[in-house]
Amino acid sequence: MITDRLARALDDRLRLSPIARRALAKVFPDHWSFMLGELALYSFVALVLTGVYLTFFFEASSADRVYHGDYAPLDGATTSAAYASTVRLSWDVRAGLLIRQTHHWAALVFAAAILLHLSRIFFTGAFRKPRELNWLIGVTMLALALANGFTGYSMPDDLLSGLGLRIIVSVVESIPLVGAWLASLALGGEFPSDVMIPRLYVSHVLLVPAVLVVLISLHLGILVRQKHSQFPGPGRTEHNVVGSRLWPSYTLRSLALFAWVLAVLFALGGLVQINPVWMYGPFQPAQATSPAQPDWYVAWGDGALRLFPPWEFRIAGHLVPAPFLPGVVLGGVTFLALYAWPFAERLRTKDRRQHHLLDRPRDHPARTGIGVAALTFYAVLVVAAGDDILARLLRLPVYDLLSVLRVLVLVLPVLAGLLAFLLARALRRGDAAGVGALTRADLRRCAPRPAGPSEGGDGPGGQETPAVDRPGGRIEMWPEGDAWHWRYRDDAGRLVVTGNRAVLSRQEADSAARLAYPGVDRIVVPGPPPAAPAGPIRTALRRWGRAMAAGSLLLAAIVDRRRDRRRQERERADDTAQAEDAGSTGDGRT
Amino acid sequence: MGAVLVLAAGPVALGAAPTPEPTASPGVAGPGAASRAADRGTQLYLENCASCHGEQGQGAQRGPSLVGVGPASVDFQVATGRMPLSHEAQQARRREPVFSAADISALVDHVASLSGGGPQIPRVAPGNPVSGREVFAANCAPCHGATGAGAALTNGWTAPPLYDATAVQIAEAVRVGPGLMPVFPSQVLDDRQVDDVTTYVRRLRGERMDRGGNPLDRLGPLAEGLVAWLATLGLLVAAARWLGRRAGE
Amino acid sequence: MSIRRPPPAERAASRRIVAAFLTGAAGAVGFAVTYVLGGDTRWEGVTLSVAFAGLAVGLSQWGRHLVPTGGYVEEHEGFAPPPFEQTMTTRALTAPDSPVRRRGLLAALGLALTALGAAALFPLRSLLPFDRVRPVRARTDTPWGPGVRLVDAGGRPLRPQDVPADTMVGVFPEGHVDAGDGPAFAVRLEPGRFSRQPSGGHLDGLAVWSLLCTHAGCPVRLYLRGTGRLLCPCHQSSFDLLADARPVAGPAARPLPGLPIEVGPDGFLRAAGDFTGPPGAGFWSRP
Repeated sequence: MITDRLARALDDRLRLSPIARRALAKVFPDHWSFMLGELALYSFVALVLTGVYLTFFFEASSADRVYHGDYAPLDGATTSAAYASTVRLSWDVRAGLLIRQTHHWAALVFAAAILLHLSRIFFTGAFRKPRELNWLIGVTMLALALANGFTGYSMPDDLLSGLGLRIIVSVVESIPLVGAWLASLALGGEFPSDVMIPRLYVSHVLLVPAVLVVLISLHLGILVRQKHSQFPGPGRTEHNVVGSRLWPSYTLRSLALFAWVLAVLFALGGLVQINPVWMYGPFQPAQATSPAQPDWYVAWGDGALRLFPPWEFRIAGHLVPAPFLPGVVLGGVTFLALYAWPFAERLRTKDRRQHHLLDRPRDHPARTGIGVAALTFYAVLVVAAGDDILARLLRLPVYDLLSVLRVLVLVLPVLAGLLAFLLARALRRGDAAGVGALTRADLRRCAPRPAGPSEGGDGPGGQETPAVDRPGGRIEMWPEGDAWHWRYRDDAGRLVVTGNRAVLSRQEADSAARLAYPGVDRIVVPGPPPAAPAGPIRTALRRWGRAMAAGSLLLAAIVDRRRDRRRQERERADDTAQAEDAGSTGDGRT
Repeated sequence: MGAVLVLAAGPVALGAAPTPEPTASPGVAGPGAASRAADRGTQLYLENCASCHGEQGQGAQRGPSLVGVGPASVDFQVATGRMPLSHEAQQARRREPVFSAADISALVDHVASLSGGGPQIPRVAPGNPVSGREVFAANCAPCHGATGAGAALTNGWTAPPLYDATAVQIAEAVRVGPGLMPVFPSQVLDDRQVDDVTTYVRRLRGERMDRGGNPLDRLGPLAEGLVAWLATLGLLVAAARWLGRRAGE
Repeated sequence: MSIRRPPPAERAASRRIVAAFLTGAAGAVGFAVTYVLGGDTRWEGVTLSVAFAGLAVGLSQWGRHLVPTGGYVEEHEGFAPPPFEQTMTTRALTAPDSPVRRRGLLAALGLALTALGAAALFPLRSLLPFDRVRPVRARTDTPWGPGVRLVDAGGRPLRPQDVPADTMVGVFPEGHVDAGDGPAFAVRLEPGRFSRQPSGGHLDGLAVWSLLCTHAGCPVRLYLRGTGRLLCPCHQSSFDLLADARPVAGPAARPLPGLPIEVGPDGFLRAAGDFTGPPGAGFWSRP
């Protein structure tokens, strides 16, 4: 009742209902992989919430401070204000360590969720027209997430992050011509400069998060405008989205996921220690600690720096140092390739059509192969960033491990990519449901044409997306009170999906249904749909919900039913006469 | 801070002064006990050490010379279980000591009696952890890690974790430089600095240091990244999968 | 009007949801109590996690069992714009009096905007204060120079005998212990073992090199005594001090620059000049 009055009061003043009704009825596909992006979104929200709390206690300054507090080995020691305030935050601010650790865990999970989301988009071809724009925004957000993670990791001015910052500065300095200038401009002088931490701070809490918020808004806005893509399936076409509505189903599920993300992050933040900067000590230019590694999401860069051979060369007497190729060029190529992929693939497949139905990874073996190869490549690099730890755990000489990794980083991606390519092709040609169900015959069938993933782009995957324009079945429309509803029922009658919102007239229902299922016959049926073949719970629910929601209206409807039916039958007679497909006659059950 | 490096009594006159290291204290009572301890030391040396280091500690193909290594070195190697080696290895690792405290003391005296010289077993007094932290960060953290968890060096050598070492063993290692470890004689670190760093290292192993929960063996960011991935895949993606549906469902 | 009693499965779901929400509330209360009692990171984390997990379980049960999943379809307009709208929009944009038709004016406007954009770049130069040394000079020069004494981390000047064999002593230019490019180290090696003379020379085996790795600038502080080698903790570059700190493994490509040293009249060690090359990672204008 209160909700009702509040909604009306707001609507009377803002006239929101036309938009709100559409928004509440927005259909989300039910496949779980569509929630990976939400994981990233909610990690970001967690980052903002915890991060704001941290700003109350963190002091972004390199000025000298004397730490006094619970952490005895630093009590009375003079360090930078940034480091002293981080230790105070961890030891002397109640709940400070929980929030700090949760913030750091959220950053790691944020990057992981983005990578998973990106992989899903990549392997299902969701980046194709018209969604290239959102792909570009997403890749930009990945880059910003990595950058902000790194600045956050560096801000406490501890010994470990100081080493990381020094490495990044060296990588920037390795850029030909402008490297030293870029590094000096960014740091306001030579490393370690006194303005370095305030600048990291401003970019970490203001610049990058602001851009991220704008981009996330754009990302979601475009998503709503373009509507979701979906996997092919019964009743799903290039012209519709089948799934659950935002209200109430997705609202509950999404809020549940949000709460779950926070639950996991706080559990990690309370139970698993992360980045114990008090033990690392403050940064000193002459001090070092080992093992020294960065957070996982930049570890691929560190791994590349470790694996790359000691090659330097000179151009016209100028030095191109060793970190340039694995640091700058690899990073640049990585993001350039990500940005360019949708356009490169379109150039290759000449496919300029819009796609709202997704590929399964097997539908496009070349893309799958390249994607798996790339992921393997970066995974080996991340492992390489921990070569000293691995060497210790495996009790192997570190340089032996380095040699092995140098080979693996080149060989393993090719093998993994080839395997993925062949498996995808076997799955596509055969009729196995999944990798586990592949038979030897399936594998043999794909063998005759051995082709590397790089030359496999000729696969017709792009074009073979089932653009189901005429899925069979039929559309049924019926009036209910003063509103019209429509639903799609497939040939076998197993699938019934209802239009996501009621409309005012039969014409509107007709045009909505024609948009969603072009070429499917539309008929008018008299009255609400029979109970869908659903479990007892759902059936009971529907009954209960109808009783609750419809209430006395239902009674009125029953009274008017006779007259209604007569009117409907007249209309149906007209409709069948006009129908494009004269063969179909309505046999609407009541 | 009355930290003094008490020179352990000369090898022959061991019985006259109690050795500062409690675990190595032989609990002597008189001159008779001293000679018995010396016999025991000789016997242990011939049984366990001479095959590699030579009967007079002159060294051999399988083991280095013990001439002038000093009591601190012998005590460190034997009391941390690194010596005697059970099999030939590139780097001896810490394990339970083979001998009792009294036997170790006797052995130390015997080796010292072979040549003399070398650093004595240091006497450790409680130090200042703040200064100790600074000494540790400047001299120890590069190899043993700022958290004291140890790290890999080249050729399969490792800088071991420091958590099991006793105060005296830490001070011995600083003064002796076992294996590849650099030596820190008194010109580099004075006695008080050794006390300080010992106090800090002993504190590092405390659970109170891991205020934030499970330390993941203090392996650092990549271990944390692994946990983040496990949590993301095992808890978050699993939840999404449970909330959503799968293809064809 | 009769409200039917909900079926048992639904009542069970409702009970589970209420239980989950109550657990969540208990977690929240637990968090508050933990905080008031003095706070313990673990318990704070656990209680807060339970609070959110209770919400999550309750909401997801609600979403799965009390509201239907799936069963709806929304039409997709596609993105083919209505031809009339498209035509009229482009026509409005390109009408005869439209600004886009004034090519000359547009060119002038473009020029003005480009100039403004370029001018806006200039203040970025202030990010590096003008009173600071220019980058390449800053990278090449260090606080070391003729007569600068070698001090340890505590600022005490060093005599040759303060650097014994078998150890590594971090040394700094006097007055610049915190300088980023100043750190160096002194070692004493047997002069006979040098396969290549240290570039900065040596005083009876005592030689000094820059501490910063020539690969990415990390302090090469892992000294493997006896082998005469140094290891970098960041990317495992190894340098052979007996061969003038040449890189022997790992990604570093250049030897560590040496520091020429001498003993001053006061008996303390002092530099005879700057490093033999810019310390730390390489850069474009590095000689």
